[in-house]
Amino acid sequence: MKPRYLIIGASAAGTSAAETLRRYAPDAQVTVVSDEKITYSKPLLSYYLAGKLGEEQLFFRSPDFYERHGIERIHARAVGLLPEKNTVELSDGQKLKYDKLLLATGAAPRFPHIEGIRKDGVFGLRKLEDAHGILARLPKTKSAVVLGGGLVGLKAAAALKEHGVAVTVLIDSPHALSQMLDESSARIFERIFEQNGVAIRTRAKPVAVLGDQQIEGVQIALGEVFPCELVVVGKGVDPSLELLEGTQIRKEYGVLVDDYLRTSVENIYAAGDVAQARDVVRGEPWINALWPCAVEQGRVAALNMLGIATRYRGSMRMNSVQFFGVPVISAGLAVLTPGPLGGRPGEHDETLESQPAPGIYRKIFLKDETIVGFVLVGDVPIEAAGVLRILMERRVNVASIKEELLELGPELGRLLPLIAENRERFVEREFQELVQTVGV
Amino acid sequence: MERLFCDPRRCVGCRACEIACAVEHTPSKDLFASVLNGELGPPRRRVQTVGAKPYRVAIGGVVLSLGCHHCDPAPCVDACITGAMHKEDGQTVCDLEKCVGCWMCVMSCPYGAITPKVKALKCDLCPDRQEKTGRSRYACIEACPTEALFAGTFEEFQKVLAEPVTAVWEGTR
Ligand SMILES: Cc1cc2nc3c(=O)[nH]c(=O)nc-3n(C[C@H](O)[C@H](O)[C@H](O)COP(=O)(O)OP(=O)(O)OC[C@H]3O[C@@H](n4cnc5c(N)ncnc54)[C@H](O)[C@@H]3O)c2cc1C
Ligand code: SF4
Ligand code: SF4
Repeated sequence: MKPRYLIIGASAAGTSAAETLRRYAPDAQVTVVSDEKITYSKPLLSYYLAGKLGEEQLFFRSPDFYERHGIERIHARAVGLLPEKNTVELSDGQKLKYDKLLLATGAAPRFPHIEGIRKDGVFGLRKLEDAHGILARLPKTKSAVVLGGGLVGLKAAAALKEHGVAVTVLIDSPHALSQMLDESSARIFERIFEQNGVAIRTRAKPVAVLGDQQIEGVQIALGEVFPCELVVVGKGVDPSLELLEGTQIRKEYGVLVDDYLRTSVENIYAAGDVAQARDVVRGEPWINALWPCAVEQGRVAALNMLGIATRYRGSMRMNSVQFFGVPVISAGLAVLTPGPLGGRPGEHDETLESQPAPGIYRKIFLKDETIVGFVLVGDVPIEAAGVLRILMERRVNVASIKEELLELGPELGRLLPLIAENRERFVEREFQELVQTVGV
Repeated sequence: MERLFCDPRRCVGCRACEIACAVEHTPSKDLFASVLNGELGPPRRRVQTVGAKPYRVAIGGVVLSLGCHHCDPAPCVDACITGAMHKEDGQTVCDLEKCVGCWMCVMSCPYGAITPKVKALKCDLCPDRQEKTGRSRYACIEACPTEALFAGTFEEFQKVLAEPVTAVWEGTR
């Protein structure tokens, strides 16, 4: 009998895994289970909420992707996992046997434990149905409060502003985007939000969502009340670990996986926002809940499920966003404030910084002559993100070009001698070809 | 799959390929018209000097013209949140209709091969020249006065690299 590859979750990680399984094993039986009816791009939800994209534009693979590739897609929730029987139980009563299983269940919004948080009119922004819920409420919404100044919170705030809603963002931390930006970079964006009519309140800890039938406002620790008819929660996500209950699968914040994305239980793999895999900058297992990581992990897990031993090099925190037309790309340890998962001070020992013009900004963090993080703001600086990121990812000693890091353009040529010196870390065919071509 | 390579022994850093590339990606495909109409966008290849700052062509330095390597697997494709950046018969192609300009791909391409200009712009292997053959198949190759640019597999290109330079200039290709 053909082996069955079973994937729970049909988003970034699950779809990438299914695509890879199909590519390398055209005849294999591939089954994907999702509690969501369609597969769409979650990062595009804020575009949809802002009215910039229609629902039909949210697909990152064609709507008939699964069908066309002969991949079975079951619309149900996986409710039980019995590793000793190689079986997954679904909400519709089906029991599915697997030879190899991939957990790609992703993550769900983290709601603060405060009074009234489960009231009608409080939304996360993770699923299409969340966006539908928010949009349906807009006609009777004059003011909205966003809890959390992270990426999703601010994207939601900017999207609501597009609809003419008065938005206040309440942020516990001393500054916005505390997981992505250092304080001075974050201030640039707080100002941009304020200039565009979105109120930002830092060090504002919400304690209650007020109102009986209808939401009336959010109260913060100091007592102040922010009146509103709608609340959006953007306070980070927690990995969806329900299926682990009663199993021996090891977990910490997420499902712990080794460098081949195997869990501690045989034949079970994990990828995406649910998986805690190697972080190259931190040098320890970490969850980088990011689209590119989910896709890459899905592919690597699938290859290993197929028996094509493929080592996962590891991920790092990184992101690219634009707020009101100003682009920012940050990666690595741009942050010293501890996040919900900890975070340690003193993770860099040198900072390079330049601000050639207002709103154009570059900051690079080094530790032992190695890049451990950067923040790039503005059209020109962001073009260098790719080459800076690869230097950081491959832990290249940059002492010889340190003076130039702040003016580095997108060109890799400058870095080729350095790459040649470290060629054992640049194993990709494309790098090897380049090194051979220039003969450095 | 056919990809583009540059022989640094032949490249003199004249940037003719950059101009030809920028012109090829305009509606008029004509240098003067595209300048007059303000159509000219960024080139999708960049001439660079190995070990030196961009465009500062050091005497005796190694110069070459680089664009997208059409990687497999491609980091930019992994990163793309819309599916705009995708693989098609080995090529890495950006569907500009779908691209939302989020620059996840710019952040992910280790070669700096994508230019963020409203949409993600990169080498698309001249789709409008598919009918053409020989050196005219690609705008950059056609424009290169020293025949430094080469289309083919890397194995084929390695043979070129093994040949002495003068033979090519005498018109063997
Ligand atoms: C508004 C928003 C903006 C974002 N912006 C960015 C960005 O700019 N850049 C970036 O890198 N990332 C961004 N992200 C994060 C990115 O979307 C995630 O990292 C990515 O979706 C993770 O993919 P995944 O497949 O691991 O998990 P998910 O996308 O969470 O998918 C998991 C799927 O599994 C399903 N599932 C869970 N449990 C079960 C079960 N028991 N049975 C059946 N199905 C189940 C879920 O319903 C879901 O469909 C954003 C996310 C949001 C919400
Ligand atoms: S754009 Fe960059 S990452 Fe993508 S295929 Fe080209 S060289 Fe590779
Ligand atoms: S900029 Fe365009 S091509 Fe690049 S990742 Fe975003 S949507 Fe995809």
